[in-house]
Parts: sequence; structure tokens; C-alpha cells
Amino acid sequence: MTRVLGTVLAVVLIGFTLLGEWAAPYSPTSPVTAAWAAPTTAHPLGADALGRDVWSRVVAGGRSLVLTAIPAALAASVVGVAGGLAAGWAGRRTDRILTGVADVFLAVPSLLLALVAATRLPGSAAVIVATVCGGAPLTLRVVRDAVTQIRHTGYVIAARTRGERSVAILVREVLPAMSGLVGADLGLRLVIALQIAAALGLLGFGAAPPAPDWALMLRENMTGVALNPAAVAAPAVALGLMTTTLALFAQSTAHRER
Amino acid sequence: MPPTTGLVLTGIGVHDASGRPVVENADVTIAAGEVVALMGESGSGKTSTVLAALDALGPGLHRSSGTVRWNGVPIGRGRAARVWRRSHVGMLAQDPAGALHPLRSVAGLVGEGLLGSRRADRAKSVARALAEVGLAPEALWSRRPHELSGGQAQRVALARALVGEPPLLVLDEPTGGLDPATLELVRVALRRRRGDPRMSTLVISHDTDFVTGLADRVVHVGEVPAVRPRPGARVRSGGVPVLTARRLTLAQPPGGRPLLTEADLAVHAGECVVVLGPSGAGKSTLLTALAGLHRPAQGELRLKDQELPCGLAERTRSHLRAVQFVGQDPATALNPAHTVATALTRPLRILGGLDRSTARARVPELLDAVGLAPRLAARRPGELSGGQRQRVALARALAAEPDVLLADEATSALDAATAGTVLDLLDHLRATRGLAVLLVTHDRSVARRADRVLEFDPAMRTLGESALPIP
Repeated sequence: MTRVLGTVLAVVLIGFTLLGEWAAPYSPTSPVTAAWAAPTTAHPLGADALGRDVWSRVVAGGRSLVLTAIPAALAASVVGVAGGLAAGWAGRRTDRILTGVADVFLAVPSLLLALVAATRLPGSAAVIVATVCGGAPLTLRVVRDAVTQIRHTGYVIAARTRGERSVAILVREVLPAMSGLVGADLGLRLVIALQIAAALGLLGFGAAPPAPDWALMLRENMTGVALNPAAVAAPAVALGLMTTTLALFAQSTAHRER
Repeated sequence: MPPTTGLVLTGIGVHDASGRPVVENADVTIAAGEVVALMGESGSGKTSTVLAALDALGPGLHRSSGTVRWNGVPIGRGRAARVWRRSHVGMLAQDPAGALHPLRSVAGLVGEGLLGSRRADRAKSVARALAEVGLAPEALWSRRPHELSGGQAQRVALARALVGEPPLLVLDEPTGGLDPATLELVRVALRRRRGDPRMSTLVISHDTDFVTGLADRVVHVGEVPAVRPRPGARVRSGGVPVLTARRLTLAQPPGGRPLLTEADLAVHAGECVVVLGPSGAGKSTLLTALAGLHRPAQGELRLKDQELPCGLAERTRSHLRAVQFVGQDPATALNPAHTVATALTRPLRILGGLDRSTARARVPELLDAVGLAPRLAARRPGELSGGQRQRVALARALAAEPDVLLADEATSALDAATAGTVLDLLDHLRATRGLAVLLVTHDRSVARRADRVLEFDPAMRTLGESALPIP
């Protein structure tokens, strides 16, 4: 049940987030009513400091976050899987060097990395750098352990005794055998990437005003939380919903494993 | 009138994720003090019936009907079944070594069934259980499963199932992969339980010899298989052996104490040579060395009249095609992501040089040769039983049309009838194509089919020719 639910929810939500700008009833960037207007039927979530419709801004505000998080998670996954395959397959020195490097990266908090990167790079590039540095080592370790198990299975031995090259075995046998694991791990990387992107946005390294963005909205609307609480609650709920859905999706891929 | 003591299963039905029935309307009764054997061909749903009763089915399977009663009390599902299982059931799974948690010590694994008792009592019971299965408790106490040989791991699993004298003991295919001495321990344990009104025992097996005399009753699941007549002709040819090993010295791990020193071995075309030996002696290492997977410390290999390089990387395509290896463990023999058809077309394409469509067209024929229905070609390993997987693995090796087949306990996971079919198939290939077969086994009934038997002597670290006939 979780499988279907997770996949459907994730697809619908991501699709809605990406195309949300067109579904917004009002312009997300221009004032349409009074500042901090309370929710009404015309404006279900009220308005923010400039009188912009909060619902329209929430609907349109996930796009840039998701568009940053997806490539960041993919990059982390690709780097981690490639490293894990190499470490697990080659063993010995390659394994020690790669896991050693991964451990060094793991020792550094990824938010710190993101902040350092954000001082030099544009916001989305900083998210990618931090997600790769903080996430790829975790992927690497998981994949490496899976590969060391799979190395001794009958089907890998059969492929070796057929004289297949290492790369062919990794791509044709090892990788498909752990597709569930890689998929689940990608979901987790996506969650982390989204969190880093939101954190940077909240600290002012993300989208610039007047763009609609969940993290930016949290930051801007905090001042009016007493006047219109929905203006702060809505982007927070949207972020939470997105993260939970992605985590559910990750779990559903893991269940497909067997 | 069903008995009020013991385990009563009525109308158990199991379906898989696509709604296909795996088990239909199975009734099994085990009275107190009784030993019941559950028999049937591989793939007939023996294990699924029992796991359904214990509410411990794997993902993708679910119990669609039936009730379970223990001493007359119905056992619910979920938590109730879990509690009952913990306190009443000891189980030896089909892949017992694989069921051991890799990060726990032997003592922890065996003692798990005794939670709730005092620490000192528990240690005493664990030591006794280990000693009863012929293991030295002090030597193995803190080892992890990967530090045990295959045979030792299975004995640990047996100790784990027997510790604390569980009211219900379930043994799933105990004859698969246990050496004769360990199997004797299982027999002793079963005889001790039999007739004791506090204990019921269920043995899932395909081995008629094993079950006869041990079980009070036999319950059949699925159809009773017809036994195929054995082809008669046995070819034994002289001349140049297909595969020769000279002065072979093997060490596992490499550089460590040798398992085998300066052994000679030759297999002729059409010949079946069996290597017998206790578990942990290094039989598997010998086969992996011949297959090019383990570099011998010393010695040379020859394929017919040419030298056979010891490493896989130096072997040519014709070397690779000529020597095929079938492993021991049906659970991991096939890639869970690939269909049976994909698994079989790879060797045809790479070693046979066939194109995709020609290779695909040959899949039904290969499946038929190992006694499997061609419709299984579209299945993935998760939808096959252990025996079916092992036969697919054999078909994969035979697809390369090898000159010599190296089989590591290839029949130990199969039921008697299926193992017979597979051995008949090998006999047939030996007679018609001159296939040479080198079988590593601890099963003396398999050894009876051999032209020659070599005995592994772990004390002397040698291979010696054994006198025929095998008892």
C-alpha cells in the first residue's frame, strides 16, 4: 500500500510543484489586497507584508527549491554510487582510500559546507556542492557494503567465469541487483538536498525577493506572524509535506527490492 | 476429531502478490510428541505452508485463508503470532547459515531463544547446545558467522533451533547441505523429541531416506512426482584427460595454512568424479581454483593437451567455455533483477557467439533439459523455489556447452526426485556429448553415481582415491 501511495503522492506533488506557477489564481509577485490581510474566501491563506496572495505564492514557491534539490540529489547519488562500486569491487587499497576520503567528508557538517560554498557560489550551486560532499559519502558506504556482498554471489561469479569485464559486470549484474537500494538512497539524498536548499534560502542565500520561494517566504513573513499566521504556516507545511512525501517514496522503492 | 494438543493447521492458503495461489487448502496436524514430515517436490509450497502457519511469510506472499491452533487455542496474526513464535517455536531455516545475523556472535545467536532467563543459566544452556551439535563452545563463543565454515554455521543454526527445547520445532530441509555427521545429530535430536508429550516436531524434507524411520507420519504437499527411468549407458574413456591438476597446493586465505598439498587430479571425457569430504575441509576451494576464481599457491592445470592458466584473466574464451562452474547456494545463484531468460541468454551470447534472437530461441530448450517448464523463462528468481533456481543455474552453465562441469553441492538443495533428474541429465550429457563432471559433495547417495570417488583428507591435506562401491 505504501508503495503505491508513496509513488503516486510523490509524482503528483512534484508535478504540481513544478507546474504550480500556472495554477496560481493571482500573480505571486504583485500586491492584490491589503497587507497582512486575514484569510478570506477570495484569498484562502490571506496576504503577506506587501498584500500578495499567500496561496498563489505557496503554489508557485516550490519550483526553484525542487529544481535545485533534484540535480543536487542526482549528482550526490551518481558520485556516491560510482565511488561505492569502485570501492566495493576493487577492494584493498582503492577501498581504503575511497572510504577514507568519504569519512573525512562525513566528519564535516554539510550545512557548514553549504554556508562556506554559498559565500563563493550562487545559491543553487552551493546546494549541489553541499549535497554531494555531505551525501555522496553516505551513498558510497551503503553501496560499497552491498557490492562486497554481491561480489560473492553465484551470478557475479558466473559473469566472471564468462570472462566479462569488471565494468560490464558492475553495470549489467551488480547495479540492477541493487536498484532498489540505489533508488531508496536517492530518495534520502533528495530529502537532504531539499533541507539544505531550504536552510540556505532561510539564511538569505537562496532566491532573491520578490520571487516566490517557500524558504524566502518563511523569512519574510516571520515579522507578520501575529497578523496572519497562515503566511508562515503555509510554506512550512508545504516544505514538510514535500519532504515527507519524498521519504515515503524512498521507502516504497526499498520495499520493491525483493 | 482433531487432537486438542499440538499444532493444528486447517485450510491454509497462500497467495503471491499477483494473486496466484502458492498453497491451496493445506491441512496439517502435529500432535504432541509427534514428528511429522512434510514432503513434496521443490516448488510445491512446503515451506510457504509452514511459514504461513507461523505468520512469517516473506514479502510478496500472504496468507489468504486458514486457521492455526496450538493446544486448541487459535493463534492470531501479527503480534500474537510473534509472541507465540518467540516462546514456543524453534526453527532451522532452509538456508540456515544465511539466516544468522552477520554482526552477532555465536553465543548471542544461540542465546537469543532464551531471553528472559538468567545470564549465567543462559550461558550454560548455550554451551550445552553448542556441545550437543559437536562444536567446541570456547573456540567459537565470540566468533561471527563469517568466521565460520559453511558446515559450522549450519551447526550453529541447529543449536539455535534446539536450545531451550522448544515445544514446536520446525526443520526446513535439514538434509540440504549438512555433512553426514551433522545430519546424525539432527537424527539424535529428533529421536529424543519423539514421544515426549511436551514437544511436537515438523520436518520439511524432500529426502525419503532421511524421513523414513524418523517421522511418525508423512504429509504430502502437491502432486507426487513420477520418477524418470535412468539412462543406462556409462562411458568411461581413457586417453588424455579433459582436466588435469598437477601438484596442486591450495591455501585459504591465500598465503595461509594450506588446505591441500601437492594433490593430483584428472577427469576424463564422459567421466563423473566425485570429491567427498567433511564440511570446511576445502572442497569448495578446490573447485573455485579449477574454475580460475582462486589462485593456487602452487601447481599447474591442463585442459586436454594444453596448459590452462590459473587466473581467469589469462584464460581465453574457449578455455572459459570449456570449464563451467555451478555454485553451492541457490539463494544467490541468480540475479534478482534479471529474468530467467536473461540469465540464460548471456552465456549463449558471450561464450556461444549467438545473436540475441537466436539465443532467446534456445531458452525453452535449455529449461526443458533441466526439467523446468519453458513458461518459467519470464520469471525472476524471487518467484522461483530454491530447487528451481538451482536448476536454472545448472542450465546457465550448460548453455556454454562445456567440456567439464564443476559442481559444488549442486544437488543438495533439490528434492530426491529432482536431484535424480538432474543427475540423470548429467549422465545423459556424459554419454552423448562426453561431458566430464567433477562433483563436490558430502552426500554419499550422489557419490554412488560416480565413476571414481576422491576423498578429501583434512588431516593429511591430501586427496585420496576411494574404493568403490560407496556404502
